[in-house]
Amino acid sequence: MNVQPDLGFIKSLKESGGDTLKKCFQCATCSVMCPLAKEGKPFPRKEMIWAQWGLKEKLVTDPDVFLCHQCGDCTANCPRGAKPGDVLGAIRAFAYTFYGWPAPLAKLASSAKGLPVLIGIPVLVIFIMWALSGAMHFPTKEEFASHGYQQFFGTWDFYWYAKNIFFIVLIMVPALGIGLFSGFKGISTMWKTMCDNAGLNKEYRPSIVQFVQNFLWPSLVEIVKHSRFRECKTNIDRVRGHLPLMLAFIGLFIVTCWSLLKNDVLGLIWPSLHGPLPMTDPFKLLANVSAIALLFGIGVLWANRKKAESELNTQPTFYDWFLIWEITAVGVTGLAAELLRWAGMPILGYIVYFLHLVSVMMLFLYLPYTKFAHLLYRTTAYAFEKYRQSEYGKVN
Amino acid sequence: MTDEQGTSGAVLVVGGGISGLTAALETAEVGNDVFLIEKGASFGGRVAQLNEYFPKMCPPSCGLEINYRRVKDNRRIRTYTMTTVKSISGVPGKYEVTLETAPRFVNSNCTACGECAEACPDEIANEFNFGMNTSKAAYLPHAMAFPRRYVIKKDALSAAGAEAVKAACKYDAVDLDMKAESFTVNVASIIWATGWVPYEPTKMENLKFGKSDAIITNMMMERMAAPNGPTGGKIVRPGDDKAINSIAFVQCAGSRDENHLEYCSHICCMATFKQMTYVREQYPDAKIYVFYIDLRTPGKYEKFREDRMADKNASFIKGKVADIIPEADGGVTVVAENALTAEKIAQKVDMAVLATGMQPSLSLQGAPVSLNMDGSGFIISDFDKAMISAGCAKKAADVVTCTQSSTAAALKAIQVSRR
Repeated sequence: MNVQPDLGFIKSLKESGGDTLKKCFQCATCSVMCPLAKEGKPFPRKEMIWAQWGLKEKLVTDPDVFLCHQCGDCTANCPRGAKPGDVLGAIRAFAYTFYGWPAPLAKLASSAKGLPVLIGIPVLVIFIMWALSGAMHFPTKEEFASHGYQQFFGTWDFYWYAKNIFFIVLIMVPALGIGLFSGFKGISTMWKTMCDNAGLNKEYRPSIVQFVQNFLWPSLVEIVKHSRFRECKTNIDRVRGHLPLMLAFIGLFIVTCWSLLKNDVLGLIWPSLHGPLPMTDPFKLLANVSAIALLFGIGVLWANRKKAESELNTQPTFYDWFLIWEITAVGVTGLAAELLRWAGMPILGYIVYFLHLVSVMMLFLYLPYTKFAHLLYRTTAYAFEKYRQSEYGKVN
Repeated sequence: MTDEQGTSGAVLVVGGGISGLTAALETAEVGNDVFLIEKGASFGGRVAQLNEYFPKMCPPSCGLEINYRRVKDNRRIRTYTMTTVKSISGVPGKYEVTLETAPRFVNSNCTACGECAEACPDEIANEFNFGMNTSKAAYLPHAMAFPRRYVIKKDALSAAGAEAVKAACKYDAVDLDMKAESFTVNVASIIWATGWVPYEPTKMENLKFGKSDAIITNMMMERMAAPNGPTGGKIVRPGDDKAINSIAFVQCAGSRDENHLEYCSHICCMATFKQMTYVREQYPDAKIYVFYIDLRTPGKYEKFREDRMADKNASFIKGKVADIIPEADGGVTVVAENALTAEKIAQKVDMAVLATGMQPSLSLQGAPVSLNMDGSGFIISDFDKAMISAGCAKKAADVVTCTQSSTAAALKAIQVSRR
């Protein structure tokens, strides 16, 4: 037999923290130590041997890879320092690139070498848009005080659709669109293959309503509650960072939706609703609380990561740090832009706001390729696990 | 007859287990003078604690008695128990070694009549039996003790106890004022046969040793199976003395583990196979479960493994036990993943035996002088310095390998002494 090892796969695992993979000697301590492995379906021992054998197709369609929360309990008890938790993280990093569409963009987002281009794309897009908008000038103090950043891309007389919103939508919606489309493509491929591998009957499927009710919604509830995170022992500290961070994202999502509704729908009827929100507005309050929660959460995760690197000898990887940097950038620039508006510093404010747009666009555009993709893939794996255990999973 | 200053070419052997005894005898029988020292109160070491040992499943009396006889008959060997190395000066070929003998509180008048133990009211945990029973504070180290002389644990003796043991001795052998004594010997080379200690099982927190009486170590199993052991040779669950219907052997308990002993301890797989025979002799129908990473049968023991694996009531599960749960009925549940079927297994058993490994003694107590050691505390021989390691102080090994390495060490010690 002529064995052709997939060197690219192995190299990719090594780059994203799985360099210890080959130390595993299959003692299966990890599968017993894992607090998340379900009775009948232990992991990550089997994933370790699949990875050693280079069976990447098996790995990227294995729900257990995504159900792993990198508790670190397996790694702490591993007799060989093979760090199964880190290896599974590396497999997930590979999976996001594997499913990523368009492939060149996914590949770009997988290594630090792509960083100049990764930052360059949104910088260029937003700068060009700014130039195209014709609003390429810094506002006066008075303008800045009354409009804030709401005329960043200028203003026009067309009453029904503000110029600023037009440009922001023009930038962010395609960015998020590409991200979500690619992510959806990935999770549907994964879902189909997972069903095939589990031998589930395709003829017998739930309706969309049933699916949401029975599988997706319970998964989301579990995720928001952090039930599984809380079962971890070694890295339990991450809950303290991840929970406020996730709630911050939910809070900011609500604020964004409200702001869109208020400015673009209700604003048409009551023009007074335009303009920055006053500090006392409940939504503004939510926005500010969320921003602080976001910065606190990412700060805890940043510190945890640093601690893991110094104490547990976790390999620092671009995959892990890129998301931490992105979120930090979003939080810092967002809050700084707001503070500069209060301080009445238009030039610096505009520059920071520009960077805020850049970091938000990066978060959206690279969502399916970076660690951020876990919010799609892990949720899918949660839902699949419930699906597999339900009556649907028992019909063959 | 040597005097305590020794003649040129004398060899110091540190440790009086099977390796030290062998090295001392091989050296002396070639013609060199030997000082053989032992930290414990008796020679015999770990082998004395076994029920049976490889390769021929002999009881330890078989190998030790002949060696004791040879030592007694050999006028070139001087033996010292309860003695340790304090310091070493000089150069290779001309070492001056300061030794210290701890007080035994029993002098050479002792005839091992046992009257003192009979009279002694104070009891201590029996270390030889890993605390599974007690002995008197005045005691014979073990049934095959050599020198055959009692020893008194003075710290554990009450005032009444002290009076009682003194009064009981007809030979004026009890001397509770005995002090530690230092003396020096001149030797050309030193053989380190300091042996091993069973790895401390409480360090593997997940295996819950000490949390349930049903969890024992493989060395405890040896003592229990031995006719002179705490149960008179009956294998029963400590605590409630329940007969065994099912038993699990937990291999690699601490060995091959970076967090504990990073090396393979070499003997634990064979020890488990051997102990399966003990169980089978007493319980023809008991279920036996062996949880392992790999089954290693070094040397020529493959046949022995095949015979054990042919046992209808024995199952072998490839997967390390990573959790043991004490149960209310006194038994335990051992948890592992069977790596061949990818199923998680929780097996309820009456008793679990942790196949703990060998830790080199000096890695725990520290070497009295600077020695060349590997990362795990095994001694690497340094012939230029005339420091030679033998037996389990050199590497984890079975008795056969130990005696071979001790013979080799004797030859090296002699060569170095004649340079």
